[in-house]
Amino acid sequence: MKKTIAIALCALLAAACASKAPTSTATADGGAGKKKFVVGYSQSNNAEPYRAQLNLQLQHFLKKYPDIELLPIADAKQSSATQVSQVQNFITQKVDALIVSPTEPAPLTAAVQQACDAKIPVIILDRTVNTDCYTAFIGGDNVLIGRKAGEEAVKLLPDGGNIVELRGILSNQPQIDRDKGFREAIAANPKIKIIADREAKWVKEQATPIMQQWLAQHPKIDLVYGHNDPMALGAYLAAKAAGKAEQIKFIGIDGLAIPDGGIRAVQLGQLSATFIYPTGAQEAADTVNKILHGQPVDKQQVLGTTQVTKDNAAGLYKQFDLSGQN
Amino acid sequence: MTLHADNRMRRTLSALGAAQAYIGLVLVLAVGIATKGEMFLSETNLTNAIGAFASRGILAVGVTLVILTGGIDLSVGSLLGIASMTAAMMLSKHSLEPWQIVPICMAVGAFFGFLNGAGTAWLRIQSFVMTLAMLSVVRGLDRQVSDNVSVGTQIAGPDGQLTPQAEAFQLFGTPGHNLFGRIYYPVLAFIVVCVVFHLILTKTRFGRHVYAVGGNPTAARLSGVNVTAVTIAVFTLSGMLAGFAGPIDAAYSASADPQAGQSFELDAIAAAVIGGASLAGGKGTIAGTFVGALILTLLDNVLGLNAVSDNWQLVIKGLIVVVAVVLQRPDLFTFFRGGSRS
Repeated sequence: MKKTIAIALCALLAAACASKAPTSTATADGGAGKKKFVVGYSQSNNAEPYRAQLNLQLQHFLKKYPDIELLPIADAKQSSATQVSQVQNFITQKVDALIVSPTEPAPLTAAVQQACDAKIPVIILDRTVNTDCYTAFIGGDNVLIGRKAGEEAVKLLPDGGNIVELRGILSNQPQIDRDKGFREAIAANPKIKIIADREAKWVKEQATPIMQQWLAQHPKIDLVYGHNDPMALGAYLAAKAAGKAEQIKFIGIDGLAIPDGGIRAVQLGQLSATFIYPTGAQEAADTVNKILHGQPVDKQQVLGTTQVTKDNAAGLYKQFDLSGQN
Repeated sequence: MTLHADNRMRRTLSALGAAQAYIGLVLVLAVGIATKGEMFLSETNLTNAIGAFASRGILAVGVTLVILTGGIDLSVGSLLGIASMTAAMMLSKHSLEPWQIVPICMAVGAFFGFLNGAGTAWLRIQSFVMTLAMLSVVRGLDRQVSDNVSVGTQIAGPDGQLTPQAEAFQLFGTPGHNLFGRIYYPVLAFIVVCVVFHLILTKTRFGRHVYAVGGNPTAARLSGVNVTAVTIAVFTLSGMLAGFAGPIDAAYSASADPQAGQSFELDAIAAAVIGGASLAGGKGTIAGTFVGALILTLLDNVLGLNAVSDNWQLVIKGLIVVVAVVLQRPDLFTFFRGGSRS
């Protein structure tokens, strides 16, 4: 009995080792000298729907390049320490290219530097690091998106009004930027005021009770600005329950093409607008391919945003939907 | 200070410890009324506040059972998460009726709870470690089955209207949907759970056995209590309650998030401790936990209405837990008296 277990364990271990070892050797089907490239990707946190979508898209777009193999995506679960060791693992495995979505800039800087020293090209996705030693940065511009959201708020409230703001986790850079851009833009109309703002940690179930309290406290709320769509929708639920959803406008950010995401919410008239925070997955796939084939790439690729309105929502959903149902 | 005075002090503190939950509740209510008066006392506000906390309150009841036997259950937040995901998927993918969804979710929770109990009782893994592992395992499964994407519960049919099942599911706690137009379901569910488990603990043999196991497992075993069975039962019940809270949470946010329930176990444990449950086992009541949950709920609400920042809310909540524990330990007071005398 014991022997069987031991053998089974050994076999399991061997299988695990075998499947993890990346190879930069010729492909098995004997493609004459055709090189297979191995790419490692360290994602800061798989659990956020936005990042899950990014993972799906990256896998989808990399399929276009049959000579590139993406290793299983490493999930740092929001821990910088975990992410540093993941990046170092990829360096040890001698991957041909590395993609990193850093959890935080400072702790990841040294790890990216190590990859750079090991002559591994690095693509930084979405969030920055404090070194220039990388091959490309691809990411959205949260200040810009915040500003666009603010401009939309100014348009929705021509006579001024009261805004409440649901913020993401206060220490997150996107939260800081989405707030900054928004405040810059609404300064255009001094009659628009942010009367309350609180941290709802990016999630719906935190946003709903906060909005309920605001509805009790403030007789007049004209617009809710959520730093992401789930929080804006959580506030919408609270307002709907209080019978005030009709008098209030809701603006979100992210615009994910998932059944309960922001694009659908705009279509349903729950949100007045949302702004697509681009995942950069397609750009990352193209850039990796170019780097591996020795073609030049732009070092800084800052992506724009698209405003989702009732008119373009259906089209955008189709464009970004990866479920294969459309 | 004389020995007599010492004893009197000790007795006073002891009485204070027993009544602490109620004193705390009165204090929170007083602060709420003093600062926000009518706004705080309005039916809508109180229903909203308790409704938002109900799923955590239900977890707290399960955790109390486990704590009474001297164990701890850290996995309830993850169990709630996977149950809410189960509910949303049953609704969106299989169009099940709400009355079918709830038993399935409870069974899912009970299954993982049973594993917690089996690991603790049979494999002799400390419950802290066993349920910590389960917290991680179940969260991973939750993310895996959902592909890391939240699943909405407001499913629209081809006509653009909610399906009858989705419409009915909203009754479970989507804000604004009340039973008979008046009773907010999560509040009702929380109260019913408290009453049922209060009766189980006070009126049944199983209840007495739970206290016996927590008080002194060896003595309990010698007097014929099946400690293993009781241990497995409390973990299973705790899991089952987390499974019951799942659909409530999914209805509340109109979707199941892969991160739903994260850190809820901490609020649940805090509610039990504030309510007087002792982590050493054998001491605590469901009534206490109910009041403990109420204190945390209303505290959240009062601080929110007064626009106290989240950072300070965390500090205040933590301090209240410490005060609650100290009040339960009159011996701490005499320890310090003794220290200063020598």
